[in-house]
Amino acid sequence: MASEPSDASAMAHSGNPLKVVRPLAGQASEQDLYAIRQKIYPRAVHGWFAAWRTALVLATQLVFYGLPWLTWNGRQAVLFDLVERKFYIFGLVLWPQDFIFLTGLLVISALALFLFTAVGGRLWCGYACPQTVYTEIFLWIERMVEGDRLQQMRLDKQPLGARKVGLKVLKHALWIALALWTGFTFVGFFTPIHVLLAEVRSFALGPWESFWILFYGFATYGNAGWMREQVCEYMCPYARFQGVMFDRDTLTVTYDAARGEPRGARARSIDPKSKGLGACVDCGICVQVCPTGIDIRKGLQYECIGCAACIDGCNQVMDKMGYARGLIRYSTENIVSGAVAADQVVKRVFRPRVLIYGSVLSIIVVAWVAGLAMRTPLKVNIIRDRTTLVREVEDGRLENVYRLQVMNAQERAHRYQVSVTGAVPMEVILDAPLQVPGAATLTFSVRVRAPGETLKRGSNPVQFHLTAVDDAAIAAHEKSVFFAR
Amino acid sequence: MKERIIWVLWPAFITAAVTEMLFFAFIDPGEIHLFGNPLELSKTGAYSLFFFFFWVMGACASALTCFLQRSPFELNRCPLDAGGRPPGCPKRLGGACAIDQG
Repeated sequence: MASEPSDASAMAHSGNPLKVVRPLAGQASEQDLYAIRQKIYPRAVHGWFAAWRTALVLATQLVFYGLPWLTWNGRQAVLFDLVERKFYIFGLVLWPQDFIFLTGLLVISALALFLFTAVGGRLWCGYACPQTVYTEIFLWIERMVEGDRLQQMRLDKQPLGARKVGLKVLKHALWIALALWTGFTFVGFFTPIHVLLAEVRSFALGPWESFWILFYGFATYGNAGWMREQVCEYMCPYARFQGVMFDRDTLTVTYDAARGEPRGARARSIDPKSKGLGACVDCGICVQVCPTGIDIRKGLQYECIGCAACIDGCNQVMDKMGYARGLIRYSTENIVSGAVAADQVVKRVFRPRVLIYGSVLSIIVVAWVAGLAMRTPLKVNIIRDRTTLVREVEDGRLENVYRLQVMNAQERAHRYQVSVTGAVPMEVILDAPLQVPGAATLTFSVRVRAPGETLKRGSNPVQFHLTAVDDAAIAAHEKSVFFAR
Repeated sequence: MKERIIWVLWPAFITAAVTEMLFFAFIDPGEIHLFGNPLELSKTGAYSLFFFFFWVMGACASALTCFLQRSPFELNRCPLDAGGRPPGCPKRLGGACAIDQG
């Protein structure tokens, strides 16, 4: 394994004999975790897709870094309190019993991913995946400190000097600072962030909190600073199987070979047709901007994360040359091969695969939202008192004792009234009113009395009914048994 | 070897994260008992240690997979290079060995 060239190992593991292109030969190579790696210096790119990615980087990070600081009802708005085992999401409080909603959310996310991938290829990878987003932010820092692509390459070739050391130290210090802030924010979703901040300020951070801040920070620094495209190429399971969601009508980043070839350099003034040339001027910009270092002109490759940086780069060159844009563009296999006319692209989106993904997704989303909306914020567990099965009280009636575990899933306190129905009239005697504070579970002892002569010996089915005094819609009904002798 | 380590650790990390979520969705770490005694650990500590336990177990499975996946060629290969083999060894000169060339 160790001696295998990267091309061979990439082929063996993708199961797809794609040629891996390493266009930046001659650069310093790094022995990295997965394969011998040449550092990729993606060139900065401007354009429509780059603007979208910037917008998504800002939007996702605003949510990630900002959310833990919001308050709601006097507490952190979004808090996954693992110690109390309660998840707070704005007005919603989820308990371990609501695990089904988390499962549902994961199913919805997976199906949405399938749907977006079938329609537009690796949209998730190119614009919203944390790996892409953090790599982008780390690249911004790298460019801010070390300069553009050529300056970075020159700097890396330079012998170690005061300037180089200074720039490298500054870059890594900024990276580490951002990574630590990211780790701090991550832990702030699980431990109240204001408490966490106070602990950091007074150097009183708990061992596990410190550990997870450092762990997540280190992962961010390593993945976005060092690993970068290798995470997508070797580590990401989704990158390996996303191909099965693709079909001949999936929009992917495509090089129009029919228009571009034969490629070659030419003066701007001449008509390429007179020289027998296509539209590709072979400037290599598409390769230089690629964060995974591939050449899109060789066709769709599994390393392509669909970031469309090559589209933006190529469009700039086409503008300069005075050619039509879109030599590299979002297109489908069917359109490029001529099987489908280019104006059919929208119509082709509504094909069976997309419609099936779409309808299954809609059904699950509706069921999920409805389930969440109709969830009763009251759960009751009835435990029979095991010490005394049944006893006779003064008036000759039989008495059973129960323990009622009452969980109030709402944030305001409720008082509940309880009644019990069975084959005969039953009386409920409470030792204390069933008053439960918001988002809490309390256990109450409840005695139930019934005339014994009308009940059969052994267990008699009964049903407990709990209703909130202030809101009759909040009610729970639980079955239990009443023992008679 | 370096690659083997990451091939072992990374898939184990993913499965450990999933196992952790599933396991603690149903089990409260405050209710875990060890030899009849409650765990003397904070809940955060229990969550963390269980995560590492799942990670180590996953890594064991990945490592076994890597270990058993070796081909006969790798198993039969002589660990000594051609020059370092003892006198009289048929593979001594130029490594002219059928298995080695497998």
